[in-house]
Amino acid sequence: MLLLAVLAMASSLATALGIVSSSMEKRVAEEVRKYGANLVIIPESARLDVGSGGLNFGVVSEPSYLQQKQVEEALVKSALKAEVSFHLRGALQLKDADIMVEGVNFSDIRRLFPWWQLKGNWPAAGETIVGSDLASRMKLKVGDIVELAGSNNKIPLRVSGIVASGGEEDGLLFMALPELQRALGLDGQLTLVRLMVTAGGDSLKKSASALQMLLPAAKVNEVRQTARTSEGLLAKVKLLMLMVTAVVLVSAGSSVAGTMSTTVLERGKEIGLMKAMGGTRWEVMLIFCGEAAMLGVLGGLAGYVFGSVIAQFITKTVFSASADFIPWFAGISLGVSLFLALLGSIGPMISVFRLDPVRSLRGE
Amino acid sequence: MAETIIETNGLTRSYGDICALKPLDLQVPEGEWLSVMGHSGSGKSTLMNLVGGLDRPSDGSLRVGGEDLLALSEDGLARFRREFVGIIFQQHHLIPYLTAVENVMMAQYFHSVPDEAEARTALERVGLGHRLKNRPGELSGGEQQRVCIARAIINSPKLLLGDEPTGNLDNKSTIMVMELLKELRAEERFTVIMVTHNQEVAAWGDRTIYLDDGVLVREERMNS
Repeated sequence: MLLLAVLAMASSLATALGIVSSSMEKRVAEEVRKYGANLVIIPESARLDVGSGGLNFGVVSEPSYLQQKQVEEALVKSALKAEVSFHLRGALQLKDADIMVEGVNFSDIRRLFPWWQLKGNWPAAGETIVGSDLASRMKLKVGDIVELAGSNNKIPLRVSGIVASGGEEDGLLFMALPELQRALGLDGQLTLVRLMVTAGGDSLKKSASALQMLLPAAKVNEVRQTARTSEGLLAKVKLLMLMVTAVVLVSAGSSVAGTMSTTVLERGKEIGLMKAMGGTRWEVMLIFCGEAAMLGVLGGLAGYVFGSVIAQFITKTVFSASADFIPWFAGISLGVSLFLALLGSIGPMISVFRLDPVRSLRGE
Repeated sequence: MAETIIETNGLTRSYGDICALKPLDLQVPEGEWLSVMGHSGSGKSTLMNLVGGLDRPSDGSLRVGGEDLLALSEDGLARFRREFVGIIFQQHHLIPYLTAVENVMMAQYFHSVPDEAEARTALERVGLGHRLKNRPGELSGGEQQRVCIARAIINSPKLLLGDEPTGNLDNKSTIMVMELLKELRAEERFTVIMVTHNQEVAAWGDRTIYLDDGVLVREERMNS
């Protein structure tokens, strides 16, 4: 029973830390997502003012464009796991004044920029949202109809919302990307692609390099501040979890070895009896190995259940979130418990192998 | 004339400087009940352990059932014990968490295949048909010894060794156990080597040898 408890405790801690680590990774990824894109693609020759949440990455000096189709193909080829938003920025006239308009897919924007504060609604077809600075400058409010003038056409749009991001977006008017491409006569062209790559560390750099190879006419930049935050945090959390798990496993392994040794000592007469009845050394040792393995399996299953509960408790109290139910961690819990049970049994099993039946039956 | 089942020549067992059994020449015919008597430390248990393949001699030769025990490996000795020998211990050595029938089946496990029906029959033969599912802690000393006998005979051994099997029993239980052994021997025709302190118990045998300080000092044939 003691051995089972030790194995269950060790595997439950390994499971709990594993689940917490995994949930943390997901949680951190979600937090990092709030900072927005971590990769941007701009045309090679362009010097475009690119920013996100008050961070600036460059300045526009001459019009140059990315081909949307090429970028899409490159993204497919790179098999990158990322959320993508395409942007085209250009000037249109509103009430005889030039304003900066950005063409976007609003569904992408909603995913990539969850911190934008919107007064009103996200636009449907024929609608627009206006940055808060531009809205106050042009005296626009939700429900107004604006008429944007391009080089040879006019686009009437209803203002569905006023957006505030605290960044340069507050001075822009946003409309559907295909409409702006048509209005500017730039079908299939983009000035910027933002990517939220769901990977950290070296893989972000690798992703940037891979994309760069596929898009030689473009420049793929890491948004360093965001990337570093996510990389650093995740790496530290993982290292901490690994170290704690290693300490737990080493202590549990020693405990298992100690408990198994005591068990063998206590059951010395039983072992002697088995040998006296004709059990070979290997047969008797296999019986004890089988018992250790069975305890390992039971400990692993119990450890998975307890570990999941502990993980829930930790994530709720420390991170104010709920841990995921991860079925394949049952395999890890079983593996840890079995490994500890068998590893801790090596020394005691050698004693079982060597035990002299006459002496052990005498209780020596 | 019965064939010799046990033959020793100059059989010796030493533990460091202590010689527990001094060169012993002994022959036991098949089917004989040999009682071994002597004081504590006289070498009787040592002799029993050597004959049963539980221990190895320091010198001399030892043949049991035609098998040269000195030539056998550790695993060979284990196989010899399971095929050839049944042992009844003074302390019973029953496994406390197993029932009577499971304790008997354990001997089957090492011999061949556990067969509960056969184990039940063995316990019924020793008069414990009503105690099959009881654990050793729930049985009297005499009943525990009968479980031990059932376990020893379950694989039909050629040689039954008893290490003071009645040492912990009262007179009534002793007589019951000895009568049972006599009956079983008549049915199974195994050879018995019985180590005992008790002259009355020794008298159940065909022959008694007396050991003193590892030396065979006297031999006595009983009238049946």
